[in-house]
Amino acid sequence: MSEGFDFYRWRPVIFGAVIVGAILICAIFAPLIAPYSPYDLDYMVMLQGPSATHWLGTDEIGRDILSRIIYGARISMQVAFIAAGIGLIFGTVIGVTAAYFGGITDMILMRFMELLFSFPAILLAVVLMASLGTSVLNAMIAIGIVFIPGFSRLARAATEVVLREQYVESARAIGMSHARILFREITPNIVAPLLVEAAIAFSYAILLESALSFLGLGAQPPEPTWGNMLNTGRGFMAQSAIMSIAPGMAIFLTVIGFNLIGDGLRDALDPHMKD
Amino acid sequence: MSQDLIRIRAVSKEFGATGWFKKPVGVKAVDGVTLAVKRGQTLGIVGESGSGKSTLLRMALRLIKPSSGTVEIDGQDIWTLQGAELKAFRRKVQPIFQNPASSFNPRQSIGQILVAPLEVHGIGDRDSRRAKVAALLERVGLPKDAIDRHPHQLSGGQKQRIAIARAVILQPEAVLADEPTSALDVSVQAQVLDLFDDIRRDLGLTAIFVSHNLAVIRQVSDQIAVMRHGSVVEYGEADQVFGDPQHEYTKTLIAAVPDHRKLMRAL
Amino acid sequence: MASQVSSDPRVHDKPDTVASLSVEGLSIEFSRRRVWTPVVHDVSMRVMPGEIVGVIGESGSGKTLSSLAALRLLPKQARVASGRVRLGDVDILTQSESQMRNLRGNRMALIPQDAMQALNPTMRVGLQVAEPISLHSGQRLKSVAGVAAKLLETVGIARPEQQARAFPHQFSGGMQQRAMIAMGLALAPGLLIADEPTTALDVTVQAQVLNLLRDIRDTRGTSIMFITHDLGVVAELCDWVYVMRHGRIVEQGSVRRIFMDPQEEYTKMLLAATPSIHGPRRKGGV
Repeated sequence: MSEGFDFYRWRPVIFGAVIVGAILICAIFAPLIAPYSPYDLDYMVMLQGPSATHWLGTDEIGRDILSRIIYGARISMQVAFIAAGIGLIFGTVIGVTAAYFGGITDMILMRFMELLFSFPAILLAVVLMASLGTSVLNAMIAIGIVFIPGFSRLARAATEVVLREQYVESARAIGMSHARILFREITPNIVAPLLVEAAIAFSYAILLESALSFLGLGAQPPEPTWGNMLNTGRGFMAQSAIMSIAPGMAIFLTVIGFNLIGDGLRDALDPHMKD
Repeated sequence: MSQDLIRIRAVSKEFGATGWFKKPVGVKAVDGVTLAVKRGQTLGIVGESGSGKSTLLRMALRLIKPSSGTVEIDGQDIWTLQGAELKAFRRKVQPIFQNPASSFNPRQSIGQILVAPLEVHGIGDRDSRRAKVAALLERVGLPKDAIDRHPHQLSGGQKQRIAIARAVILQPEAVLADEPTSALDVSVQAQVLDLFDDIRRDLGLTAIFVSHNLAVIRQVSDQIAVMRHGSVVEYGEADQVFGDPQHEYTKTLIAAVPDHRKLMRAL
Repeated sequence: MASQVSSDPRVHDKPDTVASLSVEGLSIEFSRRRVWTPVVHDVSMRVMPGEIVGVIGESGSGKTLSSLAALRLLPKQARVASGRVRLGDVDILTQSESQMRNLRGNRMALIPQDAMQALNPTMRVGLQVAEPISLHSGQRLKSVAGVAAKLLETVGIARPEQQARAFPHQFSGGMQQRAMIAMGLALAPGLLIADEPTTALDVTVQAQVLNLLRDIRDTRGTSIMFITHDLGVVAELCDWVYVMRHGRIVEQGSVRRIFMDPQEEYTKMLLAATPSIHGPRRKGGV
């Protein structure tokens, strides 16, 4: 039946939302949740494994890893949301516009997207940072711009499929305005693949941010982000594996959370699956 | 007021590959077609795939621009219409398309789908629109609760009933239909054709009905145009075209139709 | 000669002849959300040697499932619940998968509705037509490719030598369907199962394909099971008809009997609902 809440249908979304929600809470209430300050050094307990006092152990200069993970969620989540958001919104607008109006509009927009696409993501981000200046916010914008071509191509392909459907032709024949056709007839029917792409972009953004931090272009030490924790941890794999595993797990959990939401929404919103 | 509501004059459509890197090759999908539909009559256009019948219909709906020639409604060239006049045309002439599966936005309810034309043309308020939709659903023989359902929850025949309802909700003067029943089972097709015919008579609609199915065309049409390779090879009153076909192609076409009544007559 | 025998409806009831295909009490279940629901109920039908049998029904009548069961090509969500299917004297349902592979093509072949989808777009038509021979004889495809032209010729494709080298998209819809029929005939099976083979075709092309099928039966004595929703096609082509609805056979009989003297309400309704280009218009007009 169409009324009533179908738990089975929404189960993956709920699962994903619980994971992402927990991480968001950590990010927002980090000072209340974290057992220690993420910056306090304690040379007495360097490179320790998990223990009762330090649940996830300590890093190379004795900072509590759990606390740094919790604080790290702040920047990592901001980067993920803002960067993926920029990519999703601008990419969709560009892709839908290109497909709908076609012709010269399509050609100019898509050639420009291909230009963006032809730069390696890191290089593009570096070039953008060089012109925008180095800051965490600029890192987010740069990463977001890197995502735009991917979203735009996907949005364009999806729109082309929808444009061939007869209901778009009917909408034109009824006399609907371009804006109404774009927002009411086309956009709702292309969100599913875009949502899945957004979930992937979220996770990729976290990794890209870490690469930028590594190059000294993102968040700077001692500011904890999952990316730069992972980078630092790499150097201590032999002495203390938990230093890499902990941020790795945090990224992994987040990615799973977002993917569950993305995939789940796609299925749950698919009108053909209702019954 | 002229007797002809729709006049198609020497209309051609050439599809060419467009784009900088493509070799320009012109294919004439429609080649110099002239037809007219009298007020309140139904013109059936029959042809095989590639005959240009659907392209012609789309030009009459102002969805595809003719390469040459004009389409006139009430004596006005529809491609010169702008602003309010164009909007009036969009209200006067309505389409029904072939594929029940893709005719409707899958994310909208039947209510939303049927209300859209009224909203676009600013007719009535929320309550009167809703009342109109409910009345029309009943007229096309669908249950009241269909208003809140989504297209995929309806059968093919029900969807084509909705398509008919959407086409007449603006009280148009003409309905142009492209193979509206070819995806349906025969028993359902018969019901949908009957409904189409009833509503057309009730509202005094003028219609163009495009199909590859000669038997269906024969049933609904007053005049018939037989198309082949973009041109009209035969055009006349329905009874005359079927009873005494003049063109070789029309004869071939009629002879090729497998028909159980041929067998029944032969026995 | 075969045609003279088979167009006599009494052939269908001849007790001393072994049927090309005989289906007895076949029931098929379909899985929906892991619940098996019966969709074909106790269906029995026969195709006698050299006979063209029409199975007619609307969507959801179970006509396609029943025919797929005869080839043991049911989709994963479907299974045979009970019944017997015999191809000549072979019990199909007890064969091993490799025995089945041997039977398909050799003893019976399927002609699908959508030839364009059934043909591999990247492979020359001739090679595809000859493929069954290579598969069953173990010879290399290249060495049997010469046969393809001959097969294409038998299905009425002009300039077969050249056309064998063409790719499917260079063929018209009618030629693609002819190629599929040629592929079906490659190993000279005794039975063709044709699932709406002309539904996607224009009427003039359809008429040619129907003629071709009739020719094949007349010259080779091939039995044909013809699945369709089109009463007209059945009337033109078939000797015997099964009318299916909701997974059951509602009526069967010789074509003459079904069309001249239908007994069941459903058959009568189908006949009345089918628009015609002959006789009075069904409604309106006059």
